[in-house]
Amino acid sequence: MKRPALLDEPKRELWLAWYATVAFYSLYAIVFFLVTRTQPPGKPWYDPTQVVGWFANRHDGLLIGFAIIFVLGGLSATSIALITYSIRRMSVSRAFSYSYLVLYAVSAVPGFLFICVAMTVGAMRPERNPVIQRWLYDLGFLSFSGTMGVFLIGSLIWMTAILLDKNRVFPKWFAYLNLCNALTEVVVAPSWIFHVGAFAWNGVIAWWINVVVFGVYTGAFIYLLRCMILREDFGTGPLPDLPSRHWHTIFPAEVGAS
Amino acid sequence: MLVGDFSECAVPTKGNGAGLVSGFRIEGEAAERRRNARSQAASQTLTRLVDRLVSPPMNRTTGERIIFWALPGVAIVWIAAFFLFPGFLPPMSPKASAIQVAAFYAQHTSRIRYSMILFNWFCVALIPILMLIVERMRLMAHRTPVLRFCVIGVAGAAPIVFLTSTIFWLLAAFRPYRSPDLTLLYNDLAWITFTCGVPFLVALCLFVAVAIYLDQQAKPVFARWVGHFNLLIAVALVPAGFAGLTLSGVLAWNGFLSFWVKNVAIALWLIVMAVALGRTLGRERDAAEDFA
Repeated sequence: MKRPALLDEPKRELWLAWYATVAFYSLYAIVFFLVTRTQPPGKPWYDPTQVVGWFANRHDGLLIGFAIIFVLGGLSATSIALITYSIRRMSVSRAFSYSYLVLYAVSAVPGFLFICVAMTVGAMRPERNPVIQRWLYDLGFLSFSGTMGVFLIGSLIWMTAILLDKNRVFPKWFAYLNLCNALTEVVVAPSWIFHVGAFAWNGVIAWWINVVVFGVYTGAFIYLLRCMILREDFGTGPLPDLPSRHWHTIFPAEVGAS
Repeated sequence: MLVGDFSECAVPTKGNGAGLVSGFRIEGEAAERRRNARSQAASQTLTRLVDRLVSPPMNRTTGERIIFWALPGVAIVWIAAFFLFPGFLPPMSPKASAIQVAAFYAQHTSRIRYSMILFNWFCVALIPILMLIVERMRLMAHRTPVLRFCVIGVAGAAPIVFLTSTIFWLLAAFRPYRSPDLTLLYNDLAWITFTCGVPFLVALCLFVAVAIYLDQQAKPVFARWVGHFNLLIAVALVPAGFAGLTLSGVLAWNGFLSFWVKNVAIALWLIVMAVALGRTLGRERDAAEDFA
């Protein structure tokens, strides 16, 4: 029998993790935006009866969508592992990579498991007291938007590592995109206070701008991780350039300097 | 002399030619065929030796055996707590009314508290066991530590999900005479977290399976069937994720698939992985003695 080509591919683990990352984020977007319709989020000012209506409107979507996350949500570890690997490949202390790994690993439970549990418990008993249904609704949205610290510090850790790195693993502009992502965690904090307006959990700042930044950020790092895998030489020095005519657009200053 | 990143150069990989590849000493197929079992063991021991040189000297094997042999003790506590909790045998019905659930907590308050305190203490004892697997993964013929990072990434969250469910159970039992609606809420949160909270266990089994399949060497760390077994367990855990969909039947949180298959799968996984780990620990000890 022919030996699968994947087994002889030296970058096989990296590619597997990268494809799993793409699969996870695609699944995540589909489940949150299309299946459960929990993004864009419900209105924070809904009264208990409206919350009951909101749950009724999405009953099957919530239960099926979050069941899919209950089964496959652990794949989020693949992107964390790959980013940890990328930081480890930089000319910085391993304290950075391990910090990133631990921060994002612990973020999973409050960051996405709580919303799955709260919304499932809410949807499974539509006849429950409406005041308690709203309690679950608040728990779901606020734990999801309001788990801030791990992403704030995690992004700053990644940013600092990129800025210090001499191995050119990531372009410097991505460090500043990390800063943008960290700032979204700052501006989402008022959603713990306001029920209406731009800073509420569904507001222009706390949701719309944040989701755009997060989308650009995620798209960028998935693309840059792919570039990193293509460039990986398993050495410890600077990563070689990608043999591509588009490469200068990604590393403009640094390619010119080298 | 070895060059490159010592912590990852556990064993050579098959294929991709021979010689130095970008700072790593990679041995090719021809060299691998020449090597006998003893030199293989010696090369693994050499890796451990290099590891020790870059970290403070300590007796790793003894430490790992202490963690390993703590497992039966911990397992006894888990089994005892399982039987002590009155809501597992038989599993509580999701169709019970708020009044019935409140009555259950009022009637069995002490046993619920003691069993969940035990689980709360010891469920996270899974983490050191998972770290033993992570350490074995160092010896696998992988080029990168990515799969190890994947396992570390889910190793904490997996028992923390269970810990969260014990908190809801303990909260329900803390004031059993509160409004029955609130006790029902805590009970639902506990059962859904406990039953559906399998994403990290599913991912763990998948990562371990992939790691074993990619461990292409003459004497792999874990046998290939352990990889198949992990895949099987991952599949067995899947239905539990859908427990929220129904209040009765095999998928409900007290159903055949969501309760019995899931929990038996976890117990089986622990037993099989413990046996597989025990074999690798013994092999390493023999290799260390040979090398000495």
